[in-house]
Amino acid sequence: MTERYIQGVAGYLPLLRFDKKAARAELRWSGLGGSGRGLRAVAGWDEDALTMAVEAARNAVGQGAPARVTFASTSAPFTDRSQAGLLVDALHLPRGAESLDVAGSRRCAVSALVRSLRGGSGDELIAAGEKRRAQPGSAPHLAWGDGAGAVLVGDTPGLARVLGMATMNMDLLDSYTIAEKGLPYAAEERFARDEAVAQVLVPAVRQALSAAGVDGAAIALAVVPEAVAGSYKGLGKPCGLTAPNLCEEITEKAGELGAAAPLFGLALALERANPGDRILLVGFGNGADVLVLESLSRPEQATATEALAEGVLTASYSRLLNLTGGVDLDWGPRAEVNQKTTATVLARHGRDMHGFVGGRDPRGNVQFPKTPIPVSPEATGPEPYEDVVLRDVPARMASITQDRLNFTPDPPFNFGLVQFENGARVAMEVCDVEGPAPQVGDPLRMRFRIKAIDRQRIFRTYFWKAAPLSRPALEVK
Amino acid sequence: MATGIKDKVVIAGMGCTRFGERWDMSSDMLMVEAFEEATRDAGIERNRIEAAWLGGALDDINVGNSAIPLATALRLPPMPVTRVENMCATGTEALRAAVYAVASGAVDIALALGVEKLKDTGFGGLPIRTKGSVNDLWMPYGSAPGTFAQLAGAYAAKHGIPAADLKRAMAHVSWKSHQNGVHAEKAHLRKAVTMEQILNAPMVADPLGLYDCCGVSDGAAAAIVCTPEIARSLSRDALVSVKSVQVCASNGWEMQYGEWDGSYVRNTRIAAQKAYQEAGISPKDLGLTEVHDCFSITELVTMEDLGLSEDGRAVFDVLDGKFDATGKMPSQIDGGLKCFGHPVGASGLRMAYEVYTQLKGRAGARQLANIDFGLTHNLGGQPSNSVAAVSVLGRLE
Repeated sequence: MTERYIQGVAGYLPLLRFDKKAARAELRWSGLGGSGRGLRAVAGWDEDALTMAVEAARNAVGQGAPARVTFASTSAPFTDRSQAGLLVDALHLPRGAESLDVAGSRRCAVSALVRSLRGGSGDELIAAGEKRRAQPGSAPHLAWGDGAGAVLVGDTPGLARVLGMATMNMDLLDSYTIAEKGLPYAAEERFARDEAVAQVLVPAVRQALSAAGVDGAAIALAVVPEAVAGSYKGLGKPCGLTAPNLCEEITEKAGELGAAAPLFGLALALERANPGDRILLVGFGNGADVLVLESLSRPEQATATEALAEGVLTASYSRLLNLTGGVDLDWGPRAEVNQKTTATVLARHGRDMHGFVGGRDPRGNVQFPKTPIPVSPEATGPEPYEDVVLRDVPARMASITQDRLNFTPDPPFNFGLVQFENGARVAMEVCDVEGPAPQVGDPLRMRFRIKAIDRQRIFRTYFWKAAPLSRPALEVK
Repeated sequence: MATGIKDKVVIAGMGCTRFGERWDMSSDMLMVEAFEEATRDAGIERNRIEAAWLGGALDDINVGNSAIPLATALRLPPMPVTRVENMCATGTEALRAAVYAVASGAVDIALALGVEKLKDTGFGGLPIRTKGSVNDLWMPYGSAPGTFAQLAGAYAAKHGIPAADLKRAMAHVSWKSHQNGVHAEKAHLRKAVTMEQILNAPMVADPLGLYDCCGVSDGAAAAIVCTPEIARSLSRDALVSVKSVQVCASNGWEMQYGEWDGSYVRNTRIAAQKAYQEAGISPKDLGLTEVHDCFSITELVTMEDLGLSEDGRAVFDVLDGKFDATGKMPSQIDGGLKCFGHPVGASGLRMAYEVYTQLKGRAGARQLANIDFGLTHNLGGQPSNSVAAVSVLGRLE
């Protein structure tokens, strides 16, 4: 069997962090506000499990072109539309790339990683995203967070190598979600914690440590998602673990990220580890997949570290409800616009839209979208283009406004003209703006987002939006 | 070689409804009101009209597709009737079609009528329009104020104008129009407002506040055009002729090509230059302008695009009162879109109605002295993807 390596990792969080103190205050009358401790990462209205996974995947892949792409989520927006295929298009990978969507439990991303490490060959991307729905008032509504993680596996040494792995299946229902209802139902927390530790985590971790020939005490960093707080503490003594569990920090700062948590945590671990450090990685949910890894080098970008350190705090519980589907606000007749998308149009143009693929005409001018006759003033007839992917091209704001009249699920609506360094000029929405909009000339970066949601047919289209180049440091009060 | 349309066509009569929230009027009633005034003014019987054009931009609101709504509303005798649509330039486009028909010799008398029944949308502002199935996949769904507001930031950045100074100049644009609108009996909004009210109004799309935006109204306007010979046989008054009508549409250069800096409207500049050339005049010959003041920043920038201010100087000209009723170049003497609102298909013809009325000396309290030429200007779409229409009217030589 060819030895397999972790070659790339990345984590992504949305811009907004909800301060749970606000929920505790708002729900004090009901007693449903939880502890009020910590933050919850909240996806924008135009983010979902796929868009966030794309953002993580971009950084994990870098300039690579994996031959296999796996999308993992328990909150995938489509149950019958290949999100892995959309990921292929968003990264502008060849159409022949193998694509697979996995789901079914919170450990699905790690399960896919185990399979890739055990039996795969060539480069494979595994990207996980979560934007899980939960009923306001329930514990998960505040405990869960939105985010994504991605890992690139390959055949040559990179960031980490595998020392040992183990898998344990057990239909332990600490929490389950039925598609028909779309909302989680949780078992008693003490039962979930005690049985998860005793029946699943301890035996699986021991088996993985044994396979790796590593003592628990030799683990430098642990990534162990906790369905219930305290699970890792219960695991420590039986397995000899003394390392900090990074998932506790992630949960405190962003919430429990579901299927994305292990990959986000792996990115964070490799960003902090020194070469030679041993890392324990666990995927938990109806059993567990456990890996013991050895760090070989640090990733060039510390995306998970940055994601935790950046963001904008919100203390508006009603905004949280609006962004998480907890309340259905009446936005008035302006929201009644019909935004039907037809399959014929997507079939013709979808790949260029999802990949943000413009064209360079024979004179060298770049434009988006491609048109039969180029926009160059000298063009007088149809001409061929060379494809140009715009998602990573530096760009600046050419004109901008904050529109308070137009309907958007999370006002205001920012949009303007974006000038790319390679000459392309595109009218775009601007996302991730909290407070004043960018000014003319400000630098931008591109983000893969939901373009529009057809509220009549509950369909969504995807496109790229411009965002301020950097995010502010998170200021926790 | 083309010689243009200067003085080949005369406006025999015009009509214009009161603009506003015409809850009591349907689109066919508005069309009839404008048409009846136009025929009375022209002294032309309806059965002498040989062709007609209907301007309507938003076909899904009350008026309907095709030319049939016009033919039916007016019970026109069987004749060629055509509906035209070119966004906010629609009214002028209808006029252009009728004028071209007469100038070509195809007909002697033609009708142009524009109408829009916006208040049947059930909400304020213009309806959101689909941009077409492909463009909807990527193009932002901005509102009209949102698309025009971007002129402000780009203009300020290019000319180094502090935001507060530009905001004050924009406010003056609206203040001036509200002052003028008080004297326009057919205007929707006939109330003067203060600079403080304008500057402190709620924000709609940065930096456009409520008073930086024109109203949304119902309305219709009509023109009956004919050959000079027929016009002379109908009236001994001074005749108003069409000196030029020019239209220019974006080909994607602004939105897709990297040259445009977003601070001006190229189509207006091109259409204006051609209109001046066709009319044989220069900007300084104008006695008034009715420009597309959908938003205050649009009017301000348009003053430069029409050659009435030097580039970067419109802010100062506006604040100096150059375009006020008592200024060197009065603009929106009837209050403009700001006070009439903007029933899209009707606005271009409403502007022509005001210039025509001024040239005829019938403008009452708002009558300007010594007018030889007046200009109308429409800007459809958005500055980055627009249709501009410019016409010049004057007395028949």
